[in-house]
Amino acid sequence: MGTISQIELYRLIAAAHARGERVVVATVAHTRGSTPQRRGAKMLFFADGEVAGTVGGGCIEAEVWAEARAALRTGRSALHKFSLTADEASEEGMVCGGTMEIFIDVWDGKP
Amino acid sequence: MSSASDHRDAARQIIAAIARVLDAGALGTLVTIVDGPHNVGAKLLIEQTGTRTGTTNDAALDEAIAAHVQTFLNSHAEAQTFKVEEFAPELNDWRDARMLFERIEPEPHVVVCGAGHVGAALARLAHLVGYRVTLIDDRADFVTRARFPETEIELVAAHEGWASALQSVLGTGRGRYVAVVTRGHNEDEECLRAVLAARPDYVGMIGSRRRTNIVLARLREDGNGDELLRAVRAPIGLDIGAVAPEEVALAILAEIIATRRGGTCAPLSAWRRERD
Repeated sequence: MGTISQIELYRLIAAAHARGERVVVATVAHTRGSTPQRRGAKMLFFADGEVAGTVGGGCIEAEVWAEARAALRTGRSALHKFSLTADEASEEGMVCGGTMEIFIDVWDGKP
Repeated sequence: MSSASDHRDAARQIIAAIARVLDAGALGTLVTIVDGPHNVGAKLLIEQTGTRTGTTNDAALDEAIAAHVQTFLNSHAEAQTFKVEEFAPELNDWRDARMLFERIEPEPHVVVCGAGHVGAALARLAHLVGYRVTLIDDRADFVTRARFPETEIELVAAHEGWASALQSVLGTGRGRYVAVVTRGHNEDEECLRAVLAARPDYVGMIGSRRRTNIVLARLREDGNGDELLRAVRAPIGLDIGAVAPEEVALAILAEIIATRRGGTCAPLSAWRRERD
């Protein structure tokens, strides 16, 4: 599960939309300090549990997944801030130590 | 009042417009309200032609965003958030709201002329970093699937000559990064002549200073302007001391990335020694 091209990403969103399904799009909107993904990186979460793309793996992945799953249920789009303090990062042996703001966006499908 | 149904129609129109921009190899900016008093998630797509799709549901905000798009595009950033007060302080209701600006464009398209050792390695490396890759050679047996099992690497046998193959691959030149690394200087010259006509975002040619000077001098005699010829990276690549073909390919790809992202090519650690 690596980064994903824009063409592939929007093809997947369009396909889910055409099936009438909800899809959640997580986008790295803003970063400060050392973070594991670039601004603009995206990850898709589908209603059936499938995912595509990545917003940076290890450090914050579990939290992003939890927020994305919640958004699949509630249908609410919102900006979330994820902090990676130096302590936590070094305890886990991670390379990152900054903050990431990730926009978790709900695209509702229409068949 | 916007209903759930309107929301879905808006999404469908945005998706269709983004597909159109990407298919055409064009450039657009997608702006999304990511934080604000209302309409979070509302989107406005502004194409380079000025065409707009979607809305923030506030005409004044749409206008302010459209006026700010070029500033964003000039920054080379792939995505960036702005507070509305940064570009439209007069919109009091929106001052603290934040907008996410994203470039919508196909991934960079690296076009490699010549499927020898350097060209083959460059095609694989560029594919690895996620760029679209086309590899062209006039020797059909050099651009076979047996040699390149990576199906995402597009292979082109230039049966009708380099110029016609390049013309169809390069299109308007936008988003194209061309490396001319054929087996000989006559072929390099033929390629470069065709490549310059398309004015891609990047073009480089392999060879020694002396050999590349000879090719560039001939192109100048053909009437190519100095400005156009000065943009040619020849000899191609950054000076990282590359020797092996794979190392040369890396030096070329590093130069392509620096061109795309606006990198300086200096070591990130240089400041340490400058301070001493």
